[in-house]
Amino acid sequence: MGTEVAFLAPVIPAVAFVLILITGRRLPGIAPYLSIAAIVASFVVWIIVFLTFLDDGTGTRSIEWFSVGGFEFTWGTTVDEVSLVMLGVVSFVAIGIQIYSLEYLHEEPRLWWYFAVQSLFAAAMMTLVLADNLLLLYLGWELVGLGSYLLIGFWWERRSAVEAAKKAFITTRIGDVALLIGFILLFRATGTFDISDITQLAHAGRIDETQLKWALIFIFGGAAGKSAQIPLHVWLPDAMEGPTPVSALIHAATMVVAGVYLVVRLFPIYNMVPDALDLIAVIGLLTALLAGVMALAMTDLKRILAYSTISHLGFMMLAVGAGFPGVAMFHLLTHAFAKASLFLGAGSISHGTGETDIREMGGLWRKMPFTTVAFWVGALSLAGLPLLSGFFSKDEILLAVHTGRLNDGFLVVTFVAVAFSVLYTGRLLYRVFLGQLSSSNEDAHEPGIRMWAPVGVFALLATGLGATALEWSQDYTGFVSWVTDSEEGFHINTAITGASVVIVAVGLYLTWLTYTQRRISATAIRRRLGFVATAAERKFYFDEVYQWAINQLVLPMARLTAFIDRAWVNDIGVDGPGKTTRWSGGVLRYIQTGMVYNYALGMVIGAVVLGVIWWSV
Amino acid sequence: MNGFDDSVLTLLVVLPFAAALALILWPGEGEQLRPMKWFSSGVALATTALVVWILLRFDYTDGAQYQFISKTDWLEQLGIGFDLGVDGIAVAMLALTAIAFPAAILIGWNVDARSKDYLILLNLLVGGVYGTFVSLDLFFLFFFYEIAVLPMYLLISFWGSSTSFPRFTRSKEYSAMKLVLFLVGGSVLIWVSIIAMFVEADLNTFNLVDLQRVGFDESFQKWVFPLLMVGFGLLGGLWPLHTWSPDGHVSAPTSVSMLHAGVLMKLGAFGIIRVGIQTMPEGAEAWAPLLLGMGAVNVIYGSIAAMSQTDLKYVIGYSSVSHMGYVFLGLATLHTLGVTGAVLQMFSHGIMTALMFTLAGAIYQTSHTRDIGILSGLAKVMPVGAFFFAIAGFASLGLPGFSGFVAELLVFLGLFQTYPWVGALAVIGAGITAVYMLRLLAKVYFGETARRWESLPDLKLNETLVAGTLALILLVVGLAPFFLIDVIREGVRHIPVVTG
Repeated sequence: MGTEVAFLAPVIPAVAFVLILITGRRLPGIAPYLSIAAIVASFVVWIIVFLTFLDDGTGTRSIEWFSVGGFEFTWGTTVDEVSLVMLGVVSFVAIGIQIYSLEYLHEEPRLWWYFAVQSLFAAAMMTLVLADNLLLLYLGWELVGLGSYLLIGFWWERRSAVEAAKKAFITTRIGDVALLIGFILLFRATGTFDISDITQLAHAGRIDETQLKWALIFIFGGAAGKSAQIPLHVWLPDAMEGPTPVSALIHAATMVVAGVYLVVRLFPIYNMVPDALDLIAVIGLLTALLAGVMALAMTDLKRILAYSTISHLGFMMLAVGAGFPGVAMFHLLTHAFAKASLFLGAGSISHGTGETDIREMGGLWRKMPFTTVAFWVGALSLAGLPLLSGFFSKDEILLAVHTGRLNDGFLVVTFVAVAFSVLYTGRLLYRVFLGQLSSSNEDAHEPGIRMWAPVGVFALLATGLGATALEWSQDYTGFVSWVTDSEEGFHINTAITGASVVIVAVGLYLTWLTYTQRRISATAIRRRLGFVATAAERKFYFDEVYQWAINQLVLPMARLTAFIDRAWVNDIGVDGPGKTTRWSGGVLRYIQTGMVYNYALGMVIGAVVLGVIWWSV
Repeated sequence: MNGFDDSVLTLLVVLPFAAALALILWPGEGEQLRPMKWFSSGVALATTALVVWILLRFDYTDGAQYQFISKTDWLEQLGIGFDLGVDGIAVAMLALTAIAFPAAILIGWNVDARSKDYLILLNLLVGGVYGTFVSLDLFFLFFFYEIAVLPMYLLISFWGSSTSFPRFTRSKEYSAMKLVLFLVGGSVLIWVSIIAMFVEADLNTFNLVDLQRVGFDESFQKWVFPLLMVGFGLLGGLWPLHTWSPDGHVSAPTSVSMLHAGVLMKLGAFGIIRVGIQTMPEGAEAWAPLLLGMGAVNVIYGSIAAMSQTDLKYVIGYSSVSHMGYVFLGLATLHTLGVTGAVLQMFSHGIMTALMFTLAGAIYQTSHTRDIGILSGLAKVMPVGAFFFAIAGFASLGLPGFSGFVAELLVFLGLFQTYPWVGALAVIGAGITAVYMLRLLAKVYFGETARRWESLPDLKLNETLVAGTLALILLVVGLAPFFLIDVIREGVRHIPVVTG
């Protein structure tokens, strides 16, 4: 078997989805096992493809989907370093999440439906990852959006969940409109959706520069929507209305990184358009910073994690903008496992305590030692504690900003953003796990094996994966150079690494003083910051502004259009002629009296008038 | 071709009329109704079988433009003949009708008042639809077109429903009257154009194939094409002549709405292609920008108007206005991608809307309201209905995997080849669809189930059957569009003015 079996990875879960739909209502018990078996099979496919790939190298194959005129539309897969990394992450994390869900959601009456959508999501996500052309990628892209919608709205009896699902779909849809326009612009310029063909044509200078620039900017709009970049980030925190394992899989580890994946995939083209890269870097950095600030102001455990995800997605975009797609992929990898262990840990906490507000928590390590360790590992990895995997990827991002195409202003702001990620991590960890055991956490307990095993595995990966950054041999000079096929190996810049270690140490110490020792008063700082803190707590008013625009602009416009349609187009334009006809009929009726002498009078008058005219002419 | 191929189209047209006649002669009401319903379903499925035969026997590769031709002289003095034949576009439309017809009959089982007359009218209507799609003679095309339209008046004004809204009332008589006046008004324009063509060509023939070869004067084309465009376009819901359509939906019974949006509106677009573009290519080129502009308004205006509707059927009605806009946009490109997309959109929208009306009808029949402010949480009591409505909704908003996506994509691609700015507008319009469709889903099916809806039943067997079939077709065409695209392409290939 060669790399061509890769297509089986999405097909198997798709089949499972159909099977679960057919059997689900009658045999709900088998749905979870169908789904898990399918995703395990996909992972096996990944292993096979990966091992073959190491010998054979990149492989592409496609079949015709349909053709119109001279245009051919295809379905096909590309197996290369980038898609393999992503496929591995998706299938592996999905296995852990689905096993975890077995216990976490075991009381749900609609569990079969949950696993059906999980399978649908897995199929769509792997389609997106493997697609060799933009059209198939768009198909997967939209279907993961559907999966996300259905899972956020899994508890659809809750109005808030329904609204969050709708918000997520429509917000990302705004990005998707831009995305589709971008894809079509590329098609218009090249006559194909095939990514490698488009790349070649672009490099051959066959695409008009302005058109290429706008196409790439529009495509980034779609990536920004999916990857929750400012100003389209508002849906992701609300998406936490879904079950926690869903947040871990879709809204932390896999789907939300699709935008990053897309720009990495198209990086050879983006690399030709500096303006587009600048835009990506600016949006990415802004997102990393603002989301970090907001994470510090939130009080809901899952929302803190959501803003942390947004912030890290911003870091990944920043790396792409700096010209280092491999670094973005590396951070994607380390973030996926760390965030999965964090979200699943958060799930275990809310499962064990029934609480999600961190102000109601404290001292949880006494009750949930295992979850505490896993959670700490994930969180500290993302904060960049040396030797954990996040340390390596964050270091590479800082280096990328420093050595890449961006100026040093970016580096300074990046350090600030990194500092915030340390601060909110410290606040979260100390507040939830250390200190006095909160009275509402008295009954907290560790979950069963199906929940803690996945958490443990992800935490282990969050610990050890950083080693892949290093140079192992002459053939493997570190993850980044492997992914992007470049010569550059891993190296350490003393000043930057040193600064980042100092930031981590100082940040963790300061938060320790604040939240454990209580030697610094958080409330005093909060008061000192005044409106800045208020703005952060109100999420910088993005939601308010959007709500205002919807209430004051969109809905009135819709009502006005409907009113115009009924009152003007219909009542005047359509009924008007009808009423005029009836009215004139009513008036003219009086001429037709049916009395002979009236008509005789008319005849006489007519004759006289005609006679006068005749006589006078 | 063997003998059956020569007569299959005649059979297809005659069958529904013969069924209507048989029903008229069928004595009795009361307990006889069930056999009548079975009989009508059988007839509908028989036409489906005939269309499947046509699909299988159609020559997809380098075939003649019109196939399955049969010619019968009728009024030789005026050159009128009962000439039938289909090209790829007509075959796609036959496929649509062959699905929508049995579906509408099956849903029509729920009608109990004078159901015999109901079935007679449905059969007449569909006979007219089949006739219009297969006629190669302008006289008969027009004749069947009228037959398809007129039963609507009776169907709506007798079996329909009147609704009071806070600020206005739509009575079924008003809607029926408006619909017929509009369509007859359009027919006047069409009839004038047909006579004009007959006189101008001076060949003493109404045969469409001959008239398509004439190559009319450019100036003649330029004044006749707009008459056809408006006359036929009106039936397709062309803005600003669309208002009969949402009102008609709101007043019509379910199966009539299914046929109305599913098939009748397609007759209009079909007429623009068959009579308009194919006989007057230069006229079409000259007037394409206007069609483009009106189609763009259809898309955006329809979807924005749909956003604030409070009646389930009004939302679907305005959504139809919006979706038909893509058909006009695709046609106006006169580009292979766009025109193929337009025809595929006609098919896809027909199936999708029929599905939506089936489900809206299921709600209305049991809850007696269509007010989306009152309905809530129905997914709990009608999970099957919710499932299929979600499919229809996502198909409507252009989710890949459903037929609407492929159709709209082709329209977009065609537009970007010709009028990129309008293309961008069209993509935005598809984005707006998500807003009102998800709003509808959220309000009607999700959230707490109000106590008054706790005991609503789920879909009946016939509704489940119809909804399941229609949903499956949306999915199959969405994943494997090549079956339909191959046949549509074969029709589009023969239109000389369509390039690319």
